[in-house]
Amino acid sequence: MPKFILNDQEVEAQPGQTIIQAAQDHGVEIPHYCYHADLPIDGNCRMCLVEVEKMPKLTPACTTVVSEGMVVRSANERVKTAVRGVLEFLLINHPVDCPVCDQAGECRLQDYYMVYGLHTSEIPQSLKVRKSKAVDLGPVMLDQERCVECSRCIRFFENVTKTGELQFFGRGDHVRIGTIGNQPLDNPYSGNVAEICPVGALTDHDFRFKARVWFLHSTDSVCGGCSTGCNMRIDHRDGTVFRLQARRNVEVNRSWLCDEGRYSFHELEKGERLLYPLVKNGNGAPAQATWDAAARSVDVRLKEIGANAILGLASPSATNEALFLFKQYLGEQLGATLLDFRTDSEDRRVTEEEDDVLRHRDKHPNTMGALKLNLASAELGGIDGAIRAAREGRARAGVIIYFKPLVRREGDVDAEAKIAELVRSLEYSVVLASHHADWQQQASVVLPVAAWSEEDGSYTNYQGRVQLAAKATEPGGDILPLWEVFAMLLHVSGAESRWMTPDDVFATMAERVEAFQGIQLEQRRWPGALATA
Amino acid sequence: MGIQTLLEHINTPGYETLEGYRKYGGYTALEKALQMEPTALIDEVKASGLRGRGGAGFPTGMKWSFVPRNSGKPTYLLCNADESEPGTFKDRLLLERNPHALIEGMAIAAYALDCHLSYIYMRGEFGFLVEPINRALAEARAAGLLGPSVMGKDFALDIYLHLGQGAYICGEETSLIESLEGYRGYPRIKPPFPAVSGFLASPTVVNNVETLAALPWIINNGAAAYAAVGTEKSKGTKLFSASGHINKPGVYEVDLGYPLLDFINNECGGIPNGRKLKAVIPGGSSVPVLKAEECEGVLLDYESLAKAGTMLGSGGFIVFDDTVSMPEVLTVIADFYAHESCGQCTPCREGTGWAAKILHNLVGGKGRKSDLDLLLKIADNMEGKTICPLADADVMPIRSFVTKYRDEFEALCVS
Repeated sequence: MPKFILNDQEVEAQPGQTIIQAAQDHGVEIPHYCYHADLPIDGNCRMCLVEVEKMPKLTPACTTVVSEGMVVRSANERVKTAVRGVLEFLLINHPVDCPVCDQAGECRLQDYYMVYGLHTSEIPQSLKVRKSKAVDLGPVMLDQERCVECSRCIRFFENVTKTGELQFFGRGDHVRIGTIGNQPLDNPYSGNVAEICPVGALTDHDFRFKARVWFLHSTDSVCGGCSTGCNMRIDHRDGTVFRLQARRNVEVNRSWLCDEGRYSFHELEKGERLLYPLVKNGNGAPAQATWDAAARSVDVRLKEIGANAILGLASPSATNEALFLFKQYLGEQLGATLLDFRTDSEDRRVTEEEDDVLRHRDKHPNTMGALKLNLASAELGGIDGAIRAAREGRARAGVIIYFKPLVRREGDVDAEAKIAELVRSLEYSVVLASHHADWQQQASVVLPVAAWSEEDGSYTNYQGRVQLAAKATEPGGDILPLWEVFAMLLHVSGAESRWMTPDDVFATMAERVEAFQGIQLEQRRWPGALATA
Repeated sequence: MGIQTLLEHINTPGYETLEGYRKYGGYTALEKALQMEPTALIDEVKASGLRGRGGAGFPTGMKWSFVPRNSGKPTYLLCNADESEPGTFKDRLLLERNPHALIEGMAIAAYALDCHLSYIYMRGEFGFLVEPINRALAEARAAGLLGPSVMGKDFALDIYLHLGQGAYICGEETSLIESLEGYRGYPRIKPPFPAVSGFLASPTVVNNVETLAALPWIINNGAAAYAAVGTEKSKGTKLFSASGHINKPGVYEVDLGYPLLDFINNECGGIPNGRKLKAVIPGGSSVPVLKAEECEGVLLDYESLAKAGTMLGSGGFIVFDDTVSMPEVLTVIADFYAHESCGQCTPCREGTGWAAKILHNLVGGKGRKSDLDLLLKIADNMEGKTICPLADADVMPIRSFVTKYRDEFEALCVS
């Protein structure tokens, strides 16, 4: 472990670390545009120049590996003058259109100008280089005049997706990035380039002009779009989600998200939300009920029908905590054995890669959690088995959780049609869902539950990594998180139910379920804790 | 003028053919070299004191000795024929009139370096030389001077010509390598240096045309004979491409250490029409300009020119008489670097363009006196802050012109 002097303090670096990385580890931010922790080093922006003793010239902190005894100064006058000079160069041909730029508030040109610049422009408007504005590249918009030519976007497509859509064109101060013939980007990871653009050159078409970033609140979450479990940040305001951005986790997604995941929150905006528990009355018409009344009626009816004739179909989109209590209630409390969660071949697809970047074929965030909880019943055999059991009268009642997948594909098994068929085939059915669907009219009881982003809970990804997704927005009406519904059912059923939060549920789960044993609550936060096989 | 190692037969008809070249002892140096141990050959080149003639002046033998011998990877020799420094046209003459000296020099260097595949990277604007060079390569191949068994020895070598697309930056060795690999001509971050990881991530030596073409004479006549010419640290001869206000512009081979003013007055035939010398750019447009009075006593060698505050560079020797407007000259030079900046590093990309615009404004009668300090500030902010020295190549003329001829610049300013 090389020790070196950073701004008069002796600090330690990891072997092979560059100055910029080691400084970051010790809380010293060295300004930069082109350096990105998950992209190859390019050293072009020259913002991270630092003084290293015995080197005649200033050297880029991003390309220089720390060596034992190195003496580095990142904030003396010589360095500041150089950084100010580079910043001035970057701004001479910049349109300074911050008032209409979406990057404002999270723009490194703005941030560094406040720290290093604060100079008056010495170039008249008439001498500025003109480049194209608002070039529509499909998922992202390109404003060439705002670009600092750091090549992060180019390197992303070159090295991460290995597709090379973006390139430099021209030379000198006329150099600009672009696609050949301004063709739109046709790449399932395009959104990342807008996210990693340190300035306003590439902005996200979806988020453009929707909100000023300083009004947004951020909540750490995990993507609900597939079994990869990419770490993300939900940016929201007043109960509305505005955008999702990647949260770095080198064990899972590095700094990336796929576009399907990035824009998956729009799926939740579609359709009507279920807001109140609905229980069919004597005439067979659904009537709004209180949670207490609904829970009691469900518990009474299920007990009447008896454990042997009850099936439970959970969802691989539900949290570990909810699945655990689902099993506690139906399995432990009522004694039902026909418990499953599969609407397709999730158990097989959960570890199948769709590409070599991020995506997995299983479009559910918690299939692995359901498997760890032993919710795949060989006796029942997934949804097809459930439908058979209902038709054959082996099962008369069913408790069914259904969340529409946030990411869907042409040719996917129409799980919703099968769920509808199952509900039709059962004598008594309790449906727990976030969104309204016509087939729910067939259900005996429909209970409104929180959707992704509306509850705290953990998912277990394809690796078996348990990761926390925090609640970002408040659901409306009488909506409850799924875990709480089962906690309530356990309570009305006479079982012990003292859980006040999903954390309490997880703590119990970590005691009782072998795969989760020993996982501490904090470990789930980042970078996640691995469940055992 | 001294010995002519490169230009002796340059005007002899037919010298560019294999037959013509052989008539004057062509390829005898290669024959001699192939009987030597490669390490002895490297020592011989070291002893000759030959330094890189492309501009940087790095000792050639030492450059060769940096190549690891047992890397497990092939070693490549690349000939830098991307001559594009304004004021420099000496490699062009060699390529046109003396191609076999280059090929023979490359074969000698390749043998010393245990290299079996070599490329000549030639600037795009030299398209008219493609056919003659390829013809010379074909002649050499047909005569067994290249191929699986060079001169019947257990040494295989082939040389190919690669034409660039016309970019000054590709004369910088790492961008030359990038370009040869098929990428955009961007200089690479060093280390790793090409000697360790260059073309196709293998050990690579990049040598200038003039450097390589100097080898046959050195091998034939011995390192001592070459080292006997020139000064203590600048040994041998150097080609100068002389242009500007002189009676006899052209390429001259001069013993290093030759007096600068004698060169103008004797070889170049003096300044036309009895006008007075105003300034000299001795080593290509990227080196600091010398005022007439600064030329007094200066010798044409690496050390003397450095002492005078400038550089030998590529030997692009440009002479200005007293009719010349220095701001206009600087504008032309600044335009060149703005046009040729690859655009990779911020200071160079933005600085070269900005400086050129300020100068255009100035010579266009719209300048302010404060622009001169701004130019010097831009020069400071560019200098030493980029991956390759292209920005520095712009800084040197800007700084020397503006400080040495400030009155002339100020006279053009309107406020």
